Amino acid sequence: MKKLYSIFKQGIIFDNPLLMLMIGLCSAIAVTTNVSNGIGMGLAMTFVLLFSEVIISLFRKLIPTTIRIPIFIIVIAAFTTMVDLVMKAYFPDLSKSMGVFIPLIVVNCIIMGRVEAFASKQKLASVIADGLGMGLGYTWVLIAIAAVRELLGSGTLAGIQVMPASYQPILFFILPPGGFFVFSLFISLNIWLKKKMEASAKNKELVTKKEAA
Amino acid sequence: MKKDMTKLGVTLMLFASLACASLAVVYAFTKESIDKQSEMQLQASLKELFPQATAFDPIQDLVSPNPNFRFEAAYEVKSDMAPLGLAVKATGPSYGGNATLLVGIDLHRSVAGVRVMTLNDTPGLGMNASNPTYYVDKTKKMTFLGQFAGKFLTDPFEVKKDVVAITAATISSRSLTNIIKAAGNAAIAYMDQKAIAAPAEGDASAGDGAEANTQPQAGGK
Repeated sequence: MKKLYSIFKQGIIFDNPLLMLMIGLCSAIAVTTNVSNGIGMGLAMTFVLLFSEVIISLFRKLIPTTIRIPIFIIVIAAFTTMVDLVMKAYFPDLSKSMGVFIPLIVVNCIIMGRVEAFASKQKLASVIADGLGMGLGYTWVLIAIAAVRELLGSGTLAGIQVMPASYQPILFFILPPGGFFVFSLFISLNIWLKKKMEASAKNKELVTKKEAA
Repeated sequence: MKKDMTKLGVTLMLFASLACASLAVVYAFTKESIDKQSEMQLQASLKELFPQATAFDPIQDLVSPNPNFRFEAAYEVKSDMAPLGLAVKATGPSYGGNATLLVGIDLHRSVAGVRVMTLNDTPGLGMNASNPTYYVDKTKKMTFLGQFAGKFLTDPFEVKKDVVAITAATISSRSLTNIIKAAGNAAIAYMDQKAIAAPAEGDASAGDGAEANTQPQAGGK
């Protein structure tokens, strides 16, 4: 149980896919112009990641290594299309505002990376912990970046006006350069957080288990 | 080696068929809801463009002269048998693939209003065309598509001249303007051909309630 928790924590902070592994950045910059997009994208991503990892992990002994990549892509693409269809059917507004980025989850390197590096070698329980950790790690970063960008760039949060009407939105934060700017701030925040947590862990003389990531 | 290849091929095929089968299930499960959503969206938009209308009769023989623009559907808008105008669901190329707009043309040969059906442009930039709180003219609270309401097709329809562009999305602005123009011109040609015209008293002006734009055009920035 403790091992599972440490795998889960890896994804949230220590090996956060966006802030530490630095993969899957394009979607993170592109959709984080408002909070509801961030939540939608994060949850869609978590779903695809979790289920792709589960399927790959269950079938890992049946997948020949030579053609593992095409099989991974088939599995990931199938789940992504499912998410896309379900969103179109039941959350049309969200689906409309996310546009092309939901289908693009297929080529998101976080999923490919985790499936290849983790799910194809591990047992189901740790894979579920990893999928949830990585997915939610991705989600919280998206929501946090989107909150900062939307607040400063449009003066709203999830579409609701927060800033006073006299506030002149700073367009810079909505444009990609602003995305990179906010993103880099979160990277430094995460490194600071990581160092602090590692130091406190050492103080308690708890050796953090290093899982092959 | 050869045996190996067959085995790999069969494995791949099995995975692909499983994925296909599960996708087919989800597709069948969601199809009804997706169709219902898009139909509801279309009906709601038609009602918004022509609030007084009581009937939307589909017409088939509206064809696009330009292969870049496709007219997926067209409706003759009527209120108790009196014509109000034409609504055209037009698809054309935009920055992020095809965009579909619903363009309403009233009997005075001006645009009654425009609604977005599908648009896949850049979020935060080109997608602002479908954002009801993004104003190209803040003082007048005029949205990008709102500025077309009441615009006559005899206008040049040129971005940065008589059409205000979305900031940082000139290509989207231009593409959408072209779709509106193509749909509008075709609708007018159709109305001329069928002799659908405004009655003398001209009370059939279709208002665009949500985006009423009675003030004069602002012109380019």
